[in-house]
Amino acid sequence: MKKLVSAPALFAEAGACLIIGLLLGFWYAPTDASSMGFSQKIFYYHAPIAETALVAFGVAFVAAILYLRSQDSRWDRLGVVSVRLGLLFSLLVMITGMIWGKAAWDAWWAWEPRLTTFLLVCFLYIAYFVLRSVVEEEQRRATFAAVFAIIAFIDVPITFFATRFLPEGLHPVVISAGDSGMEGSMLLSFLISMLGMTLLLAALIRRDLGVEELKDRVADLKSTIGG
Amino acid sequence: MGLQQFIAILRKDLIRELRTREMLISMILFVLLAMVIFHYAFSVGESVDLTYFTGGMLWVTFIFAMLLGLNRSFAQEKDERCLDGLLLCPVDRVTIFLAKTVGNLIFLLIIQVVAVPVFTLFFVERSYLGDLGIFLVILLLADVGICALGTLLATISMHTRSRDLLLPIIFLPLIVPVLIAATAATTGIFAEGVSLGSVAARLLFLLGFDAVFLVAAYGTYDFAIGE
Repeated sequence: MKKLVSAPALFAEAGACLIIGLLLGFWYAPTDASSMGFSQKIFYYHAPIAETALVAFGVAFVAAILYLRSQDSRWDRLGVVSVRLGLLFSLLVMITGMIWGKAAWDAWWAWEPRLTTFLLVCFLYIAYFVLRSVVEEEQRRATFAAVFAIIAFIDVPITFFATRFLPEGLHPVVISAGDSGMEGSMLLSFLISMLGMTLLLAALIRRDLGVEELKDRVADLKSTIGG
Repeated sequence: MGLQQFIAILRKDLIRELRTREMLISMILFVLLAMVIFHYAFSVGESVDLTYFTGGMLWVTFIFAMLLGLNRSFAQEKDERCLDGLLLCPVDRVTIFLAKTVGNLIFLLIIQVVAVPVFTLFFVERSYLGDLGIFLVILLLADVGICALGTLLATISMHTRSRDLLLPIIFLPLIVPVLIAATAATTGIFAEGVSLGSVAARLLFLLGFDAVFLVAAYGTYDFAIGE
């Protein structure tokens, strides 16, 4: 079991799922019958990336709470790593979303609730790193970052909800309550891609955590030898 | 939480401000200047009707004015090391948070007492006396959210190296939901009049925002204000 969740194994599993998901999406799932047509295929990547970005911020939220409770720097490291990856995935959401938008609405950018929310999410978590960069003392930096990660994560769904007060958007609502909106073959391709993307996040978190730990150890060693 | 302590801190902040009035005067001047700036910036021709921009103009002005005020309200505490003294007193941190939030709320309300009539005179053609009750509720609900979140974040930013530079970057993305809901409701009142039923969702949303962030700040303020 332990072998299955080591970083290299996770990378391999993620890669396998993502490739299978892609193959299924293109050759097993039918071309979308609605106006989306072939451009709908990007959905098998776009939506899993979006979901994974939110999972990453969720991990950071939990890590922040655990940090505030224990003051253990391991949780701070997990927080930094997941926010960084979440930000990366959010940027990918925006890029894939823009590509889809160009194909579907013939516009690179539309002020559409979901896209707009993700843009705001990007700004929020960039602010997380700005905040970290202006606090010198280590423990205080970790504490403030944790407080901000908690507040930011609470704010994301509220912002999304608030965008409903704005005029109607263009984004296709694929999955609404009680209806997955997809036929079996599409759903299967989608779920496998989603699993793959989540595994990729897990693999990246594991790897980055190792890097951060090494960084901290190097810093400790440097200060011991007075470098 | 001690009511007496709450009143003492609030009283101190009010007296200090009313003696110098430097924060209030600059905030009021800022708000009035912003209106003039808006007039020039949006004067694109006779045919353009600004009515549907009024809600947005009003709330953008208040949020930016609050940024000015929030920076001031903690700068003095920090510069004269008053905060250290305050933290040495046997006062619950949450009491400090509530007193600071209510203090900021009072200042914001004073600004609005001056600014709203002037704004109405300048930009609003419709008489909204019939909707005044709803308008005041929107004002109060949005103000509480702005002040609660603002006080928490100003407490964090005051402890950092870049202080007033950091606050807008962490505050603005988080306050967007309030901006959306308050703007939509206010524009409705200024432009065409509303019934309680039509803005009820927005009022509930603002109330929910206030409740969520008051609780979140309650839970994290200990960590934000430091040892």
